[in-house]
Amino acid sequence: MHSQPHRVFSSARFAAISGNTFIGLTRLKIFYVLLLFALLLIGSSVFMARMTFQQEFQVLKDVALGAMSLFTSLLAVLATARLLPQDAEDRTIYTILAKPVSRFEYLAGKLSGVLTLLAVSLIAMSALFFVVLFLREQSVLSETARQMSGAPAEIQAEAVRAVRTAGFNSNLFSAIAVIYLKGCVLAAVTLLVSTFASTTIFTTITMAFVYFIGHLQSIAREYWLQTNSAGWLTKTFLAVVALLFPDLQIFNLIDDAVAGTAIPLTLLLKTIGLGAFYIVFYLVVSLALFFRKEL
Amino acid sequence: MTEAAVALAGVTKFFPVPFQRRSVTAVRDLNLQVAPGEIYGLLGPNGSGKSTTLKIILGLVTPDGGTVSIFGQASERVASRESVGFLPESPYFYKFLTGEETLRFYGKLCGLRGAVLKERVARMLDLVGLGSAGQRRIGGYSKGMLQRIGLAQALIHEPALLILDEPTAGVDPAGSRDIQNLVLELKRAGKTVLLSSHLLGQMQEICDRVGILCDGVLLREGALSELLEVETQTQLTLENAPRSLVDEIEALAARSGARLVQRGAPRTSLERLFLETTSGAKQSDPPNKRDA
Repeated sequence: MHSQPHRVFSSARFAAISGNTFIGLTRLKIFYVLLLFALLLIGSSVFMARMTFQQEFQVLKDVALGAMSLFTSLLAVLATARLLPQDAEDRTIYTILAKPVSRFEYLAGKLSGVLTLLAVSLIAMSALFFVVLFLREQSVLSETARQMSGAPAEIQAEAVRAVRTAGFNSNLFSAIAVIYLKGCVLAAVTLLVSTFASTTIFTTITMAFVYFIGHLQSIAREYWLQTNSAGWLTKTFLAVVALLFPDLQIFNLIDDAVAGTAIPLTLLLKTIGLGAFYIVFYLVVSLALFFRKEL
Repeated sequence: MTEAAVALAGVTKFFPVPFQRRSVTAVRDLNLQVAPGEIYGLLGPNGSGKSTTLKIILGLVTPDGGTVSIFGQASERVASRESVGFLPESPYFYKFLTGEETLRFYGKLCGLRGAVLKERVARMLDLVGLGSAGQRRIGGYSKGMLQRIGLAQALIHEPALLILDEPTAGVDPAGSRDIQNLVLELKRAGKTVLLSSHLLGQMQEICDRVGILCDGVLLREGALSELLEVETQTQLTLENAPRSLVDEIEALAARSGARLVQRGAPRTSLERLFLETTSGAKQSDPPNKRDA
């Protein structure tokens, strides 16, 4: 027996659950299939367009960031949806919670494991994307230099600047950060749904609806706040949508990054702040439900 | 007065029936005490409330009424589980982990780390006879091996109280005997064991006290020796007694007004016969390969 007093929260217990969840997810075949699919899409995006270099870079970034966003969202939902029902079915949840582990440590550890997986997979995809982008940029630069070898130095410098602007820019990091944040929010909502769902399939289908409603949430919110003529039923419905569902549209900053438009720092910080709020909010609601759950 | 290892007072639990205005009573006004150092058996048919009672003790299910404590601490407090090891019925562990990794994971949950954790994992694997299977993935373990690794994870933090839900369910007689012997060893080491089962023969062999649950109500409870004693009868077992002596005893009994209820050679149990037969055949096998 331990003589040390029990700590309400232990980083060691949290890390053990988080690490175990991460290892479990990385040993799933579906993870590698999805990751391979995303990497192939990013890698092949370089062959998709042979027009002007601006269009080529735009298509490359569009396809790559789109693939990263789709894969991260899919992985966030699929990986999280199976965690709790699987543990309940295998009775591993009993052996874990029969140890001096609080339900908060268990839930937060599970979520942390998924977020780590999303981070690792996004880093792998980003690395490939930047390598492909860098190689294409170097290729276009050398071609431009060859074509403009006789032109004056200022025109050459202008052409190089145009290539560099169309290629890599720091906004891509912001776009990737926002993709990650969207994945984290989706994982937190999935965790919430899985606290009352009994099967993985129910959670996944519910999350498909949440995903689509989340992209329309801003419209519902605007209508709820502005309209006065709607009936109480409509207003209640709109209020439920506006208050319960996350606004996923705010995470769609990819288009700006692809176009090379600078993402304002304040907008980025607001997005990160709202994303963090959503994650904490859904985790707290998950906990409230999970604490009352009979296992 | 010594504090009870487990104490339940007036515990009641209802489960609502979905989409209906009624509920099912899983446990009704249950009063039960397990003394430190004893083996207590919770008996009952399927659906009698045994597993629910164990889950209530572990804080996995909240009772609708009554109180539960473990060594004096309220069982809903996470800290109370510092002194408890639990093996659920037919457990499955993470298939992607090896036996060793599984124990390391559960050890970390109990606050163990470093050299202490490493030593404890190796000791527990040896204790349950899985020393050579520790590097194998759990996904390839047999039912008996899963039960043993389950016992090892329950014991990893050396708890004072061990709660076992149907610990021998689905395990072959030899594995079942090993588990029984281990439980008796734990008792000798001063541990308290609370186990549930409907395998009465096994419970009779190892329990100090039993409680019989039926439809969520504790019908009988007490020391096994007292509950099983037939007060009006006396049993004599003689070895190498000639027939004439037995006839004489029978006649003497008849003269004093007693009635002879049974006469004959005592029989061994089917389990003992099975174990004696199979242990001869398996003498050359190391014990930890029995389930492999």
